[in-house]
Amino acid sequence: MADDSQRNFRSVYYEKVGFRGVEEKKSLEILLKDDRLDIEKLCTFSQRFPLPSMYRILVWKVLLGIIPPHHKSHALVMNFRKEQYWDVHHALRVIRFINDSTPQVDVFLRIHQLESGKLPRNLAFPLEPEDEVFLAIAKAMEEMVEDPIECYWLVTSFVNQLNSKHKDALQQLPKILEQYLNIEDNRLLMHLKACAAMSKLPYDLWFKKCFAGCLPESSLQRVWDKIISGSCKILVFVALEILLTFKMKIIALTTAEKITQFLENIPQDNTDAIVSKAVDLWHTHCGTPAHSV
Amino acid sequence: MAQQGNVGELLSMLDSPSLGVLEDITAAFKDNLICDRGPMLVNNLVDYYLETNSQQALHILSTLQEPHDKHLLDKINEYMGKAATRLPILSLLGHVIRRQPSWKHKLSQAPLLLSLLKCLKTDTDVVVLTTGVLVLITMLPMIPQSGKQYLHDFFGIFGRLSAWCLQNPGHVAEIYLVHLHASVYALFHRLYGMYPCNFVSFLRSHYSMKENLETFEEVVKPMMEHVRIHPELVTGSKDHELDPRRWKRLETHDVVIECAKISLDPAEASYEDGYYSASRKPCTNLKHHQTDPSASHYIDTQSSYGTSTPYSTPRLTLSQMPGQLPQILSPQSIQLSTEPQQVTIWSPSAVCGMTTPPTSPGIVPSESSQSSSQPYSKAFGTSAGGKGTPLGTPATSPPPSTSDDFVHVSLPSAAATPPKKEDKSDSGRPLLYRQQNVTNSDKSLDTPGSKSSVTLSDLPEFLGGLSFEDSAEKDREEDAISKEISEITTDAEHMVPRGGFDSPFYRTNESLSGSQKKTQSAVSGVQGHGQTSEPLTSSLDKPGPESARETPKQTFTPIDKPCGGSGESPAGNREGTSGETSILTPSPCKVPAQRRVVFGGGQPPLYEHLFEVALPKTAYLFVGKKTEELLKKVKGTQDEDCMASTSPVEVLDRLIQQGADAHTKELNKLSLPSKSADWTHFGGSPPSDEIHTLRNQLLLLHNQLLYERFKRQQHALRNRRLLRKVIKATALEEHNAAMKDQLKLQEKEIQALKLSLQKEQARYHQFQEEHENIVAQLHSQIRQLQHDREEFYNQSQELQTKLEDCRNMIADLRLELKKANNKVCHTELLLSQVSQKLSNSESVQQQMEFLNRQLLVLGEVNELYLEQLQHKHTDTTKVEMLHAAYRKDLEKAKLCVQQQSQRLEASQKRIAELESQLSKKDHLFVEQKKYLEDVKIKARGQLQAVESRYKAQKRITQAFELEILDLFGRLEKSSLLKKLEDEKTEAAEAAEERLDCGNEGCADAVAGYSEETIGRNGETKPPSTRGSSSSKAGSNSELSTPEKNQNQRFINRWETSMLLEPSTTVPLTVGSLPSSQSFLGMKSRELFRNKSESQCDEQGGTINSLSDTLKTELCKDPNMETKAPPSPNNSLSPKIPESSVGQLHIMDYNETHHDHS
Repeated sequence: MADDSQRNFRSVYYEKVGFRGVEEKKSLEILLKDDRLDIEKLCTFSQRFPLPSMYRILVWKVLLGIIPPHHKSHALVMNFRKEQYWDVHHALRVIRFINDSTPQVDVFLRIHQLESGKLPRNLAFPLEPEDEVFLAIAKAMEEMVEDPIECYWLVTSFVNQLNSKHKDALQQLPKILEQYLNIEDNRLLMHLKACAAMSKLPYDLWFKKCFAGCLPESSLQRVWDKIISGSCKILVFVALEILLTFKMKIIALTTAEKITQFLENIPQDNTDAIVSKAVDLWHTHCGTPAHSV
Repeated sequence: MAQQGNVGELLSMLDSPSLGVLEDITAAFKDNLICDRGPMLVNNLVDYYLETNSQQALHILSTLQEPHDKHLLDKINEYMGKAATRLPILSLLGHVIRRQPSWKHKLSQAPLLLSLLKCLKTDTDVVVLTTGVLVLITMLPMIPQSGKQYLHDFFGIFGRLSAWCLQNPGHVAEIYLVHLHASVYALFHRLYGMYPCNFVSFLRSHYSMKENLETFEEVVKPMMEHVRIHPELVTGSKDHELDPRRWKRLETHDVVIECAKISLDPAEASYEDGYYSASRKPCTNLKHHQTDPSASHYIDTQSSYGTSTPYSTPRLTLSQMPGQLPQILSPQSIQLSTEPQQVTIWSPSAVCGMTTPPTSPGIVPSESSQSSSQPYSKAFGTSAGGKGTPLGTPATSPPPSTSDDFVHVSLPSAAATPPKKEDKSDSGRPLLYRQQNVTNSDKSLDTPGSKSSVTLSDLPEFLGGLSFEDSAEKDREEDAISKEISEITTDAEHMVPRGGFDSPFYRTNESLSGSQKKTQSAVSGVQGHGQTSEPLTSSLDKPGPESARETPKQTFTPIDKPCGGSGESPAGNREGTSGETSILTPSPCKVPAQRRVVFGGGQPPLYEHLFEVALPKTAYLFVGKKTEELLKKVKGTQDEDCMASTSPVEVLDRLIQQGADAHTKELNKLSLPSKSADWTHFGGSPPSDEIHTLRNQLLLLHNQLLYERFKRQQHALRNRRLLRKVIKATALEEHNAAMKDQLKLQEKEIQALKLSLQKEQARYHQFQEEHENIVAQLHSQIRQLQHDREEFYNQSQELQTKLEDCRNMIADLRLELKKANNKVCHTELLLSQVSQKLSNSESVQQQMEFLNRQLLVLGEVNELYLEQLQHKHTDTTKVEMLHAAYRKDLEKAKLCVQQQSQRLEASQKRIAELESQLSKKDHLFVEQKKYLEDVKIKARGQLQAVESRYKAQKRITQAFELEILDLFGRLEKSSLLKKLEDEKTEAAEAAEERLDCGNEGCADAVAGYSEETIGRNGETKPPSTRGSSSSKAGSNSELSTPEKNQNQRFINRWETSMLLEPSTTVPLTVGSLPSSQSFLGMKSRELFRNKSESQCDEQGGTINSLSDTLKTELCKDPNMETKAPPSPNNSLSPKIPESSVGQLHIMDYNETHHDHS
């Protein structure tokens, strides 16, 4: 608790008067100072607040289990990861799945395939939907992370988490979306139902790819913070907020195809606001996670 | 037209002498009047009346009913405008008004009134004016409130006429002016009585002017002397007296009386004088009268006699000079003597009937005319009136004559002026007679008699002083008077009948004596003389009249005689009622008059009776008037000289009387029977204007008379009203008396009841006392009994307490008994114990004895031993040495103990140190454990990474293998193809190549190939590999497929080199396990297991199996351990490379642990 004295004593009140993120960085630093990182606390923090970008990668890696909670073993483990990556990379080169000209994303995909034992016999094998998702996420991640090794690991871990941890939850999301839309804007829901667009919304883009390719990376990061920290419901609210934000346009559109098309290519200008609103909405509907910092 | 003709006929028949026709005609007229509402009949009647002066017409007109009044008034108004008809129409109006028709209130609105006023203002004819004024005066009380708008007209008329009286602008005869003056005087009274404030203010304003001053001095001021101050002047105001409300309460006669009340003039106020006098002495009598019945009688008599001066005078004298008792008494007696005939019914109405004419209007005129004309006719016509009548008249005198008396009496009473003293004496004279009457009956009244004598004696003096008679006659009179007085005093009875010679007087005398009682009583009630006078008068009552009747003839002569000589004096006195006449008349006249008295004493009554019966009243009047006129004519205006100070009415009266005297004188010259015929003749042939004057005078007198009559009617009305009140009062009185009687009876009853009540109360008291006694006795008994009871109660209580004491004692005794019993038991027990003890002690004694013996024996033995000891005393050194040795031993032991304790302390310290060390170690151990945990987790993280890396490597190798196999496959295909094509030479080379790598299992190659094909086709390869990895621990040995074997072989090759040494170390490591099996080993294993179980999902399989195996190994006996290793070794031979890693780690752990510990 000695750390508390260093913290701004006003921090308690900032939130009350509406300021956000003032003390978050500091508290995150405090969290990260612990030798054995407390993953649960990090999760709560990440759910509550947007992560500062300078610590985002680190936190993600810790949360996704890429590096262990001990600082000391970080270098070693990362070294292992690196070696592993390069081993696999080398092997893929040997078996000529990749070459120098292969795009990074494909490299990631192949490595992932190899590691998960799904490597096709031949390069000519068509890509499966799984792989499409992976590619989209990897593309987004590539924008966010510079180091290809870290990027690969993050992508892999992210996808693995989605597939393992949130597999069941993801299938429920469309229903939840409808439910909340009913609460928030009944009229819009009616319109969508009237257009029969409810079932044709871009659920794959939203819920499987986690908006990768839909939102710009800067906004996407904040969404993924929540997903990585364990909550995939945020996806519903982002989707809901998108619908609400573009309500007028959606109502103007009458066919499901047009709506879907529009939603798949939404304007990128004010996505930050959308995400912020979505986070708020999520907080109001699902409650703020317990402050265990 | 026919009707008109009819009317004309009727009119002509109106004055028919036949009575029956007359009645018929009258009835016919009345019918016509009822049927016909037109003015024609009335007009005709008026015309007719004016033409003929018909009495019937007048009667009809004066009784006209409502709808015709307008026509009548219009007609009168019309004629009023014409100077010629003014006078008769005025007289008609006077007649009509005096009738007081029901429509009289309309008069005020009628134009007639205006024209009348105008006439009065403008006319210059004295007769008309006088008549008009009288009419107006008559009318005024009828329309009091509506007259106010003409108030100034009235006042103006008054002013004009008063001035007229003085200035006489028309230069009419003085005689008219007398009449006019009288009427103005009446008007003055009326106006002053009705509107005092206004009138006074009018007088003030009117006579403040210089030109009027003379009129005021001459005319108005004397008038004012005859009125007293009006109360309204004090309390009222101009507006108030004009207020209709004030007048609404008053009827006509009330107004008249009101006006009369304020008059001091007995002539004018004659009617009301009774009231007047009564009102003047309210302090003494009036109040009395109203309450006291007798007093009320008195009032009545008073009122009835109000007209008679004597009665009022005593009042005055009484109030003014109480000393003059005779005068007081005498009027009473006069009253008594003048008491009306109906005395028996002493009621005022009766009295009124006597003094005033009967109430019915029909009779009134006749009566009045009779009474009025009676004396004159007696006096003048028959020359008998000389003495007798005058004596009688004052008593019974009708208004005119009484008014004469009144004048005389009232004047002296009012003021003590010398000329009026004479009047007083006049009054005194009649008093004398009356008193004589009284004294006749009342002999005890000496003092009054003497006093009256005084007055009588004064009389001549007065007479002498005042009268213009010659002194000689006076002397004679004096003598006569003194004589008379002496006669009266000596024998009064003789005096009474003196008046009796005159029949009317006689009559009145009778009534007098009859009525005496009442009046006397009334008077006595008032004046205090009743005590003496009343009984006497009452006693006189019956004999009075008889004696009076008897005496006349006896007394006639004696009186006659004095009369002859000095009888003149009473006559003069009586006549002196008309004081002035006697004064004025020449002395010679008197003597014959006296004679005439004697002479005519018998005759006049007869004539009178005849006159009354035979002639209609108009005739009376006519005759009276004529004579008066004659007299006036003769006497001229002499009267006027002395009128100044007297009231105009008086002057008029004197004028008439003078006329009468003159007339009688003249008549005396004629024979009586021819008198009526000759009277005109007596005047010879008077000039025509003289006749006219006379006529007018007659008319005026008639008017005056009618006016007076009207007043009298009003008075009669009032009398009747008062009578009713009296009756009511008496009824109430009787009722009161009855009530009083009842009250008395009830009081008696109450008293009786009170008595009985007292008795009852006494009885009640007795009973109560008895009862109280009994109660007291009973109480005492009760007290005694209670006392006894209390005693008994106390006794019983004492006994009870005793009983309780006894009970307590018994209880105590019982307790004691119990205690004693206990004691007994106890003692018994003790006894038994004691006995036991005794026995014991006995046995002990025995023992004692035995022991004593023993003691003795032992003592002996002791002595023996002592002896022995003394023998052995040399052995002490040994003992000392032993003692020292023991001490040393003890010291040694103590040192030893010290050493031991020190060691103990040291060891304890050591133990503490060790314990602290132990705790430190524990702490350290915990830290170490934490660290270990940390490290373990770290290691696990690293291990995971390594694991993944390993997996990756495996995948890589798999991929490589696949690739290699693929390549091999291709190669073999191509080689096979080549083989088929190449020759044997080439085959030999290939065989050599094959030997290099295919000696282990070229046979397997075919199987592996087949396997690959399957894998490519069905993709079953990954599961199989996965499955193999997961179930590696258990199934690797069994799954020794050719392909696997190949792999394994490949690995084994790499591993065998490594495992050759480890295989030798395996037992060592296994063997080391038991060493770590103690405490730490167990713990580490548990921790390991937990961690591995919770965290490692993927590794879980392998690690679990590993730990399981370890567990199973641990659970086995240590003995078994030696055997166990080979078996796992056997089975785990392919598995060793994997598990060795874990084993190594564990070993490390154990080693580190060991190092630490």
